[in-house]
Parts: sequence; C-alpha cells; structure tokens
Amino acid sequence: MTTASPPTDAISLRASYLDRLADADERGAVAVALDALDAGVDPETVLLDVVAGAQREVGDRWAAGEWTVVQEHVATHISERVVAAVAVHAPAPAPTGVGTVAVACLDGEWHGLPARLLAEVLARHGWAVEFLGASVPAAQLATHVHRVGPDLVAISSSLPSRLPAARRMVEACRATGTPVLAGGPAFGTDGRWARAVGADGWAPDARAAAAVLAASPDGPWFADGHDPAGTRGTPGDRSGREEQAVLHARRGELVALAAAAVRPDAGEVSEELADDLGHLVDFLAAAVFVDDPTLFDGFVHWVGTVTIPAGLRTTEVAPALDALSAALADSPRTARFLRGAHGAHGGLPAAVG
Amino acid sequence: MEGRRGAPTRDATRVPGPPSPAAPVTPAPPDGPALLEGFEEGVVVCDRAGVVRAANPAARTLLPGLRVGEVVDVAHCEVLARAVRDGVPEGFEAVVEHPGGERHVRGRRGPGLGTSPPPPEPQDGDSTWYLRDVTGEHARTDTLLAAQERAAFLAEAGRALHGVLHLDRTARRVVALAVPRLAAGATLVLRHDDTVTWARAELGGGRPRLGRVGAADLARVPALTAALTGDESLGPWLADELATLTGLGARPGPVRACPVPITGVVEAVVVLADPRSADAPARDDPLAAAEEDLLTSYVARAGTALAAAALHEEQAHLGAVLQESLAAPRLPATPGIAWGAAYRPARETMRVGGDFYEVAQGAERSAFLLGDVCGKGIEAAVLSGRVRQSWHALRLLEDRPGRLLPLLNTALLDAVATRDESPRFATMVLGDARPVGDGTVELRLATGGHPPPLVLRTTGEVETVAVSGMLVGGIREARFGEAEVLLRPGDVCLLYSDGVVEARGPGDFFGEERLAAALPRCAGAPAAVLCEQLEQTVVSWLDGHDHDDVAMLAIQAPRSEA
Repeated sequence: MTTASPPTDAISLRASYLDRLADADERGAVAVALDALDAGVDPETVLLDVVAGAQREVGDRWAAGEWTVVQEHVATHISERVVAAVAVHAPAPAPTGVGTVAVACLDGEWHGLPARLLAEVLARHGWAVEFLGASVPAAQLATHVHRVGPDLVAISSSLPSRLPAARRMVEACRATGTPVLAGGPAFGTDGRWARAVGADGWAPDARAAAAVLAASPDGPWFADGHDPAGTRGTPGDRSGREEQAVLHARRGELVALAAAAVRPDAGEVSEELADDLGHLVDFLAAAVFVDDPTLFDGFVHWVGTVTIPAGLRTTEVAPALDALSAALADSPRTARFLRGAHGAHGGLPAAVG
Repeated sequence: MEGRRGAPTRDATRVPGPPSPAAPVTPAPPDGPALLEGFEEGVVVCDRAGVVRAANPAARTLLPGLRVGEVVDVAHCEVLARAVRDGVPEGFEAVVEHPGGERHVRGRRGPGLGTSPPPPEPQDGDSTWYLRDVTGEHARTDTLLAAQERAAFLAEAGRALHGVLHLDRTARRVVALAVPRLAAGATLVLRHDDTVTWARAELGGGRPRLGRVGAADLARVPALTAALTGDESLGPWLADELATLTGLGARPGPVRACPVPITGVVEAVVVLADPRSADAPARDDPLAAAEEDLLTSYVARAGTALAAAALHEEQAHLGAVLQESLAAPRLPATPGIAWGAAYRPARETMRVGGDFYEVAQGAERSAFLLGDVCGKGIEAAVLSGRVRQSWHALRLLEDRPGRLLPLLNTALLDAVATRDESPRFATMVLGDARPVGDGTVELRLATGGHPPPLVLRTTGEVETVAVSGMLVGGIREARFGEAEVLLRPGDVCLLYSDGVVEARGPGDFFGEERLAAALPRCAGAPAAVLCEQLEQTVVSWLDGHDHDDVAMLAIQAPRSEA
C-alpha cells in the first residue's frame, strides 16, 4: 500500500484514506496518515483535509444510502484512532500560555470527531485544551467549568436539532462568566443560530476557530459586541420555549401519529421510520425554539433527498407534515412553520408518487 | 455630576413651572414692603434697567451681594441678571456662590406690577422675581441617586462574584469590578494554603493579570503580609512591595489597602491605586462616609466570594481525586483481543457511579470484570472501588473465575463485618479471555446475580450465555454459576449492567428484547463501535429521562487478525 513516493497532495491522500475506511482497514488508514506526516505533510492538513474531508464524504455516502449507519460508525471509529495516532506521532507543542479552552460536544451530539479535531488544532495553536468528549451533559460541563476555570468553552454540534441543548450549555457557561464559541453546522451556515442560543461567537470549522481565537483570545467574537446583561438574541422568547417544550413532551405521541398517517397498513413502526419522524419533530422543535422557519424548511428539504432504506420516503413527507399540523393546531408558531414547510418540500402533494 | 439625572448644571435654565398667578395682580396694600418681609421665598423687584428696587430679607440672605438701588448684576447671579434684562428665561435654576457654601437657587418671574403703587416707588416696566433656596432638595435627590448607584454597583458585583466558583476567576473578577468604580487600579493579594495569588486590573489595561508566588516570598513584603492578616496601619512602601511581589511597575499616586474581613478560609487584601475613597474620610461628610461604606461592603463581598471559591476548590479537588481513582479505566491494547466499553453514570456531574468494569491484560489470559453495586453516586462508587481493588488483588492468587468469585464474596462480607455498615450487595460477571492462536478467543465466565452475557456472532445471531448465580456480598454460602464461550473471529461477548435494559424512556423500559434486536445491526463491527452504538441507542431511548448507571464491556475476537 505504501509506494516508494506516496502522494502528498490532500486530494489523493483523502482518496486513498477513504479507500481504507471503505475496507474498514484501521491499520491501513493509520498508515496513510502517518506516511503523509513522514513525507512532510502538515499535521493540520492531515487532520482537516484528509481525515475530516474523508469523514464528510462518509456522511454523504450514508445520506445517499450507500453506507449503513454501522459502516459510518466503523469509519468514524477508525478516524478517531487515526487522530489519536497522529497526536502521538506528531505531538502538539507545549501550550504557549495564550489560554485554556474546554472543547465539548452538545448533549446528545454523538459526532465527537469534529470536536476532537478542533481540540487537536487548537492545541497546535498554543492553547491548553481540555477535550470533554461527545455528548457532554450540561451539568458535567458546568462542573468542569467551575473546577478548571477555562478561559473559554468551545461547543460543537452538527445537528441543529440539538439547539435547545446548546442553550442550556451556553447558560451554564455564562453563569460563570466564561465566553462560549460555537462551531459546526448545527449553528447554521452563517452561525445565525449560535447568536440565537446566546453564544459569544461562532466559527464554521476548526481552522476558522483557530483564526478567530488568534485574532481575539478573549472574545466576544460577534461583531456587534458584548452584551453582558445577556439580553442578546431572541431564544428566550416565551412562546418559543413553551412550544418547544410541548413538542419535546409529546415527541413519542407525535411520532406514532405521523407514522400511522404515512403507513397506515404497516403494523409495527420500523425503527428507521421512527428515527426519521423523531428527527422531524426535533428539528421542528429547534426551529420553533430559535424562531426561524428556515431551520425546519432546510431539514424537510434535506429529508426529501436522502435515501435511507425503510426510512421516511419523499412521498411520505407531506402526509407526515399534515398529521403533525392536525395534532399541533394549538401551537401557533409550530402550526405556521408546518404550513410553510410544504413549500420547502417542493409542494409535492401527498397523492403523487 | 455629568450624566446624572436631576443634577443641575450651573446656571441651568428651565421652562417655567406652574403658571404664575394671573396678572395683573391686585395692587399691593400700602404696607406692601412689610408684607414681603415675612416671605420665606425671596422676592426681588427690578426696574427695566436692571436696578434692584426692592428685595426682601429672604432674597438678601440667598444673594448676599444684592443691593437695593444697584444693578442686579452685583448679586453675582448671572442668569438672574440676564433674565431681568431680557425678560427670559422666565424660570431658572442656578448654583450660586454663598459664604455658607454653594446654594441651589430656583427662580421664576412674577407678575408685572402695572402702575399701582408697589414699594417703594413703582414704575411701569418693573419686574418681580421670586427666588427659592432649593439646596436641601437637591442634596436629597443627589443622595438618593448616589445611593441607588451604589446599591446597583453592589448588586452587580454580588451577582458577578457569586456566579463563579473557581478561585482564579473569582480573583480576576474582584479586581476587574473594582476598576474604575472604586479606583483607577486594583490589585488583590490572596493567600490560600501555601500559595499566594495576585490579580491586577488597571484602567484601560485589558484582561486582569494574574500570577502566583510561594508563601515564602511574603517575607520580602512585610507591610503587605501585615495587611493580609487584617492590619490596616501601613507603611509608605506598600506600592513598592506590591511591585516586588507582582513584578509589575507601581502606579504613581496614592494607594490604599483594604484587608478582606477574616473568612477563616483565605486571607486577602485589595490594594487600590488612586482610590475614590480617601484613607481617612471626613467624619462629617456623608458622601465620603457612604463611599467608604461602599468600599467596605465591596471588600466583604469579595471576601465571601473568595472563601466560597476556595472551599469549592478544595471540595472539587477532593472530588476530582476520588473521581479519578474511581472513573472507568482505559482499555488496554491486547494482542488477539479487541475490547470495547461504554459508561454513563446516573449522576452526570459525578462521572462515577455504582457500575464498574475492569480489564487486566495478562501474558496468556486477560482478566475482566463488570459489575454493579447497589446504590448510586459517590457512596456506590466508593464501594465499587473496594470490589475492584479486591478483584485486582485476588485474581493474582486465583485465576479460575469459578473460584475467584467466592473469594471476592468472602472479602466483601469480611470488609462489611469490620465496619458499622449495613451489608451492601453487588452483582457481577467476571472472567478471562485467552486468544487461542487460530484467531478464536476462549472465555471463562462466572456470574453472581447479574444479567447473563450476550454473544453476537458475525452472522448476526444473538445467543444468551445461560449462566446465573446469587448476589455477591449477601451470604457466605452463596452459589455462583460458571460458563465457557468460544468466540470465532468477529464474534463479540457483551457484558452489561441492568441500567441498559432498565433504561426507561417516555413509555417503556428498554428491555432485553430491544437490546437483542439492536445487536445484529452491529454484527462484525469492532467491539468499541458496538458499545458506542448501543450507548447511543439507549440514551436516545431515554430521551432526556433520568436513568440508572449504564455500563457495557465487550470482548471480541478481532476479525482482521485471523
């Protein structure tokens, strides 16, 4: 597998790394990364362009129905091993005293790899980094912040449906006066929902986060400045919180209702369908929470494009939305978002297909 | 005074207050001047040229420069002079110099006097001015506003200080809040145990700086050391000593040390540079006394916040050390065996609980243990630590699982017998794994009171290892079950605690059936991925509900090493 002169450009490296992932070949994947380091490739390039780049492709393959969830998990597991191997092979230099940062994934966020990569990258920019892992409960984060007193907390999430959890974590940090930098696709392509949950700043990826922190280690990083009174953003608006709580409390019931509406003849609800409908409710709740219908529209649009065997089919989206609308007429914002989402779905009537 | 509501600027003008009595006023009686003598409000009558024609005693008291027959200007009340001359403003407020200190004067124009005979010789075009001394009224308003501002500052300081439980952060906050409200610069020196920490904030100095010195270094700064123990009588070298301690340049100007009231936990002193409140405020100056009170309250609040943070730090350290020793261990990299584990304690702030697992790698056989002591939280974790240590010691003497478990049972019963403790039970599966060489792994298992292990074959088939036994630590004659399992490459044996199947979601328990149904999807996947996937499934089943401790340990014959 190792040729006399291994390729050192990120694109070919990523391709051969992805091949190793596809074969569930942990040793081979580690070798691709370490050989690249030995050939002089920058560790940050290996971590972000090769490993993270390949993981994005893995996600695409899963969304396209080419890979199963377990295959995706195996690939992620291997990539985590690779990141650990890179950290041992080319260790980050000692912290330069620029500050201490705690890196955590939101509660319920199981994709720990992007946060792990951020931790590695920040360590290479002189930060003393504490990596708290995937799915960190808000209580655990609060304990850590009180005990260790980091200069800032970086939270990572890939799923916008975790935004209500993000709000809890941000509040836990703010109570201690610790600024929070949010990162990852969960906070929107422009970081708008990072602001909505009260974070002090947002960065789209690990490189950007390192740059933001290099420019201003103390924050706040949003251009419109600091609001110490904590009045920023709208997330705390009452109807948002209340309607989100209703959706959360009724989640199981709503999934069952929607499942019965889309597949009235199937006796037992398949796990994949229940998962997809659960996500639908979660994204709706998050959209209501941050008062942004585009969050829900985005998910509805996306769910219509992915192919998960036995999952929610494109033609089933409209009836699912109708079933939720009927059950949630009492919640004005929720009902409005559900009506609006029909457009996002392309206006496909339920009967077609 | 700038920016404070209600505080007049000098010679401030005002729109007239309530309309004056309708003109023309009834002619003053012949003894008019005598009538005005008794007024508490000052009355000034001027003619068109600005010459004072009459002034009652109240007006002369308020404006001692006023002379009847001379122009009003000599009274040194500029706005009045202008108003007399121009007719506007019709009402004003002004601060005037007075032998007894500044007075606040409010004036308004009275009615024109017409042609009737007012005192002493009325002429057409005369104007009358009513002057009132409002100094007291102003002082009360200022006092109130200043008191509100001080209360707001203290409230904000209290909120900001008590939200933090980390000592260094609290120290930084103490100095950051003091600047600029209390002084142009603030340095906190704090002794806690054998460490001396200092924090300094300066006007325009950015993030407060923080440093540490050893307690021995205090010998070089005697005045500061005295201040730490509450001594306020300070030498003139305080600023220099502070520079010595922090290595930062001293700021010129007065400094003032404010020892933090004794808390019994930390010793601290706040040194203010260029303080607002002077060292010895005049006793009769209520404003200075209030500033002094503010400083005292602030330092007291800082003291309790520092003490709370220091106490929390001690407790947190205790907890962290304990937690470290009880936390789930890292898994070894064993040739011929792949391990996987997941752990989620019920009390998530603790990260330890009553569930536990251990793996000890050996040359031929690697031993493992997964169990659950009754209870949750730190009490359960401490008991689990006892079980784990006993296991580590006993397995050196007896490696056969079927004999090791009874030994462990006896050890637990003996430990309880020597203490005043009620019996605590545990359930567990223990055993060892031996890579045979052809890629398969031989397992020997023994169990007491624990859910039976499951075996997931690469085909997706799930088998329950039929083995059971009595609770461990219950009775001396307890009987335990034994079993042997052969894992072919890719096969996994899963040990799990009852927190997995008893996880209660919105509707129902997760249950053995769902567990068995979730496994086949992971057939052939690495043991670590299996555990991660199961943990995720269980936690999403919980959907935010409370749960018992959850622990899993997976032992696998690796696929690739056939």
